[in-house]
Amino acid sequence: MLALRDLQSRFFDSLARQPGAGPASFDPTFIECVESRGPLAASERIDIYAQMYFARLLDVLQGDFSRVAHLLGCDRFHTLAADYLAQHPSTHPSLRHLGQGFPAFLRERADIADLPFLSDLAELEWARLTVFDAPDSVPLRIEHLQSIAPEQWPTLRLQTIPAFHVTRHAWPVHELWQAAEDEAREESAPQPAPTVLRVWREGVSVYHARIDTPELVAFERILAGEPFAVVCAALESVLSAEEAAATIGSLLLRWIEDGILAQLPE
Amino acid sequence: MAIAVPYLGHGIGLRTQHFPRLWEGTARVDWFEAITENFMIPGGRPLAALEKARAAAPLVLHGVSLSLGSTDPVNTAYLEELHALIQRFEPAWVSDHLCWGSVGGHYAHDLLPLPYSEEAITVAVENIRTVQDTLGRQILIENVSSYLTYTHSTMPEWEFIAEIAQQADCGILLDVNNIYVSAFNHQFDPVAYIHHIPPARVGQIHLAGHSDKGTYLFDTHDGPVIDPVWDLYRLAVRHCGRVSTLVEWDDQIPEFEVVRAEAERARELEAEELERSYARSA
Ligand SMILES: [Fe+2]
Repeated sequence: MLALRDLQSRFFDSLARQPGAGPASFDPTFIECVESRGPLAASERIDIYAQMYFARLLDVLQGDFSRVAHLLGCDRFHTLAADYLAQHPSTHPSLRHLGQGFPAFLRERADIADLPFLSDLAELEWARLTVFDAPDSVPLRIEHLQSIAPEQWPTLRLQTIPAFHVTRHAWPVHELWQAAEDEAREESAPQPAPTVLRVWREGVSVYHARIDTPELVAFERILAGEPFAVVCAALESVLSAEEAAATIGSLLLRWIEDGILAQLPE
Repeated sequence: MAIAVPYLGHGIGLRTQHFPRLWEGTARVDWFEAITENFMIPGGRPLAALEKARAAAPLVLHGVSLSLGSTDPVNTAYLEELHALIQRFEPAWVSDHLCWGSVGGHYAHDLLPLPYSEEAITVAVENIRTVQDTLGRQILIENVSSYLTYTHSTMPEWEFIAEIAQQADCGILLDVNNIYVSAFNHQFDPVAYIHHIPPARVGQIHLAGHSDKGTYLFDTHDGPVIDPVWDLYRLAVRHCGRVSTLVEWDDQIPEFEVVRAEAERARELEAEELERSYARSA
């Protein structure tokens, strides 16, 4: 008779070592611990659990990476997910974290070379999920910004809300994301193009948008915790002084409108 | 000893599909049961929905990943998160399953059956005590549907769960659909099961639908409660008296009213059974 720990390890291995592989992958010692009663043999009974295991986790990955799954089609996504799960069994009580390593896993796969942008797209889908349930916060209001005295501006440290991410890609993933949504899309091969996106949540809705170099430069300084004077100086390194002044004004307004700046500390 | 939980009436499981009803303020029901893990997140829409639900009705937290029968130690990070959720949402009680779902730090995200053995009793009792000591409250443990049994088992399932509840001094969440499903799959008598459950320990009852796969019954929670399970519910009410009851519907989820109608049916059957037993005792 197996000790409980050994029994549980062998049961888990039978489910998780080769997800979806069927009874041939079950631990023979474990099969002997299971009763064959009525119409179902021991391995058929284990197989009910094995199929449930794979179906449930596949379903989670499919939901988390729905556009990647759509582009790959059922069979290919199925194969990739099975390999991913074999290498990355869940280590968290919540399924929320299951797909964390999936974008990096896709990057290493040679058999999806026909879709070289897939990992970038997966990163965007994951970033959107991260932002979806990031901590709540109160966004900065325009009235608050207007009440700041001119002499306080240079040392002012703006902060983004927690539900905010900047993601960098080698492909125009915002277009791919939209195209995967669009059933009647034109089949044209996407071209690589360095792309930076900001991903954020406003209320309970998640958005993403492409950002240009000045906006990225500004965010880099803000995310590094630098004061407003440094943010402006950084903008002046990529724009003329005049353009920089106009740009920071319009960026601030857009950020406030999108609710991505956090309320300033008292 | 018994389990001290309030009587909440007849509730339904809180599901994403019904979140819009919370915002409309039209999700009226005796109480909600929320799947704990779905709300172990920092913020966003699910937690906002849970706030709405909590404001609308009493709430119970029902976990699926505590893995009470695992030979792994109880996950302390999980317990901390659970504790924080309890502080914030003040559930009427907290429950999880008498099963295991993790080993070696890996999670199967399933409710895997335990052998009904002395060793498994010792493991589960210790884990439940750890949870109860950490949370400072009793929890309820639920019997699961199962599709396999072990050659290791030395007692029937009802004896196993009753013994654990007794030793750990916790409550029982009696899922009568799970009893029906497992009774079919392992050819035991569901009536005997219910008769052997200590009534004072039962703090909640679960009802749900399942699927008939021909050679076995599958606990899918994707349809209405079937008549034989309603009969078992009547029996459970006769055996335990008035117990908070909850309808689970997790797949192919219909309109809010359809799920609520199942809870209303439970209310009617409970009333009928209680009336009969008052009449008998009068
Ligand atoms: Fe249940």
